[in-house]
Amino acid sequence: MADHDEYGAAVDDYLGRSYAERRHELLERGGWDPALASEFADLGWYSLAVPEEQGGLGVPLAALGPVFLQYGRHLVRGPMLEHSALPALVPGLAPATGARPPALVDPGVTDLWADDLGTITRRGPRLDGTVEAVRFAAQADRLVVVAGAAVCLVDPATRGVSIEPLAGADPGVEFARVEFDDVEAGTVLQDEDMVVRLRSWARLLLACELSGLARGSVERTVEHVARREQFGRPIGSFQAVKHLVADMHTRSTALENLCLAALGDADTAPPTELDLLACTAKAHASDVAVRVCEDAIQLHGGMGFTTESDVSWFYRRALALRGWYGDPTELQVRLGATLLDRIEEHA
Amino acid sequence: MSTVPTEELDAFRARAREWLAAVGPPEVPLDLDARFAVLRRWQRTLFDAGWLGLSWSKEAGGQALTHAHQLVFVEELVRARAPQPIGLIGLEVVGPSIDRYGTDEQRRDLLPRMLSGADIWCQGFSEPEAGSDLASLRTRAVLHGDHYVVTGQKIWTSWAHEAQWCALLVRTDPSVRKQAGISYLLVDMSSPGITTRPIRQMTGDREFCEVFLDDVRVPRSNLLGRENEGWAITSHTLGSERSGATLRRRVELEVALEDALGQLRSGGIDDDRVRAAVGRSHIAMRVLDAQTRRTTDRLAADTGPTPVDSVDKLVLNEAEQTVLAEIAGLLGPLRAVPGARPLGLRSDRWAHEHLYSRAASIYGGSAQVQRTIVAERLLGLPRG
Ligand SMILES: Cc1cc2nc3c(=O)[nH]c(=O)nc-3n(C[C@H](O)[C@H](O)[C@H](O)COP(=O)(O)OP(=O)(O)OC[C@H]3O[C@@H](n4cnc5c(N)ncnc54)[C@H](O)[C@@H]3O)c2cc1C
Repeated sequence: MADHDEYGAAVDDYLGRSYAERRHELLERGGWDPALASEFADLGWYSLAVPEEQGGLGVPLAALGPVFLQYGRHLVRGPMLEHSALPALVPGLAPATGARPPALVDPGVTDLWADDLGTITRRGPRLDGTVEAVRFAAQADRLVVVAGAAVCLVDPATRGVSIEPLAGADPGVEFARVEFDDVEAGTVLQDEDMVVRLRSWARLLLACELSGLARGSVERTVEHVARREQFGRPIGSFQAVKHLVADMHTRSTALENLCLAALGDADTAPPTELDLLACTAKAHASDVAVRVCEDAIQLHGGMGFTTESDVSWFYRRALALRGWYGDPTELQVRLGATLLDRIEEHA
Repeated sequence: MSTVPTEELDAFRARAREWLAAVGPPEVPLDLDARFAVLRRWQRTLFDAGWLGLSWSKEAGGQALTHAHQLVFVEELVRARAPQPIGLIGLEVVGPSIDRYGTDEQRRDLLPRMLSGADIWCQGFSEPEAGSDLASLRTRAVLHGDHYVVTGQKIWTSWAHEAQWCALLVRTDPSVRKQAGISYLLVDMSSPGITTRPIRQMTGDREFCEVFLDDVRVPRSNLLGRENEGWAITSHTLGSERSGATLRRRVELEVALEDALGQLRSGGIDDDRVRAAVGRSHIAMRVLDAQTRRTTDRLAADTGPTPVDSVDKLVLNEAEQTVLAEIAGLLGPLRAVPGARPLGLRSDRWAHEHLYSRAASIYGGSAQVQRTIVAERLLGLPRG
């Protein structure tokens, strides 16, 4: 993976210089900011993994992992997943020319809450159904729709498409409800593997983002406990505090290593393996990020409970991402089902 | 350190696999004495075929290959469901320190016998009053002419009752800072004045002992390294113990989980609780695997002990305790019936392995000690 670190380092460098002081103000305004989206587009961040024929850099998707880690660590908001992963994964989906992202209309974001999220059905080229929450649908200029084993490209202006913005509680994302009433799908790609790839890469990159959220919380916490004094000494000299911080660091480091190992294996993995890798990373990332953020808030005391501290933002972001493409329990069950069904490979 | 070409390792792996299949690993009896005898013969078989001491020097009886070869062989051994040789404390823990710090005579006289299993070794570090605070150990050694005279007590010494030799930490200078007065002696366990008393573990095994030392005479030539410089060697020994155990335990746990999955499949249950337990175990193993890829890199680069080893130890503890608790959790009420097969799982095996997993966060430096190292030496928090 070492050869991909350069992209993460470049993104880290830029965000450290020119995002840090704007962060809170931007987060307060919600998930969508066209100027910010254009700024990142101009930096070339969206086209890293886009094939060269389509004007991208053509680096492997795995190279986006360290970049998403930085997005998490710097609490970047906006449609980073949609902008950088969808054009790289869906043939015929040109990279965005302006700020507007594509949106992924996928009822397969969850198993347990599938009934609450809705369904899309396809008869020939026509689509029907509803998805109750879609990231950035109201801002999108194209819809990538997962309908069963097919992926369809739909222009949001097509007749029968209605998109209704929703009030959202994820500080980095805007949501909308999407309804299709006998909608003509522009392009239909019949490709079951592509559905697996779309969901797996969403899981892998969200896992990296969650891993970055955990890392950011650890860093803030180490700084804080070394500085804040009570009883006449830094709280970081109390063993109860030290051991909590050591666990946060250990969990967060192990999670990073898990993500990097999964990315390293993902580019060449066949669909079933890719699904296992991605579910594993996402399940663990959701679990660890939420726990680490909770410990960070605890160790910040009252300050941690305010919107002035970064750790409260890390936490709310981690909570919002925890259930997207599978919360830990859902994915554990899914992994177990796959593994138990498998016929033993080693004699 | 140079990296070994993949083709060479692949060929080595194929040879190991073929040999293991041909020789057929022994059945391991449950009774501890019988087990000991079988595993000692197994060590001899492995040694005669040239599979032990792979990364050790030729003078030490080894094969002068690399850590990478060692790792491949451990993997194949475990994959073949073959047991480990009995002398692991010599092979993984004490041996590498003797190879590194020993005189030519010590290496020539002691190491080949350690490898073959002719000599079983134990590690006499912990004392009743010196556990986590190992450097406060009190066992005294006083030089009289060309012999040290040793008096004191050790505890939790694994396999001391079966061992021919002991790597013994002693205090040779009580007047200086505690770490500065420790020496590392190589002690013949048949020396007059040594008594061992086995202690029963909660698994039922009598694997570790109390060791009493009463005016035991140890030749001066059995000092490892220099007098009062034993603490650095101790760190080296503990470092080998940790990295050896991490890499081996990873493969052992991987195979344990495969076995449990096989048993669950044959049990044919269909339940979300079982699936979630399997899912969590799988995740814990992938985390450990990703972490040990880093350990292997560091081992190949020969960085020596670092505070990062403590992160590895914590990750290993958590993985080991998670996987075995998840599997044992599926035994339900039949955990208490060793002959039962709840959901297809062998109750006796998983209950035993689960109990043993609780020791992982105690030996080799407790989890609390590791957390303090991570906080102070890696994250720079103030010493308290
Ligand atoms: C199965 C097994 C095999 C073993 N084999 C060997 C062997 O072959 N040779 C050998 O020499 N030893 C052996 N040991 C001993 C092992 O190394 C010690 O048990 C270990 O070092 C802990 O020491 P202790 O048992 O005295 O516990 P203590 O040091 O008394 O610790 C008790 C508890 O207090 C905590 N604690 C102690 N100090 C601190 C601190 N400063 N801050 C926070 N918490 C602290 C510990 O983490 C632990 O939870 C073995 C142990 C086991 C369980």
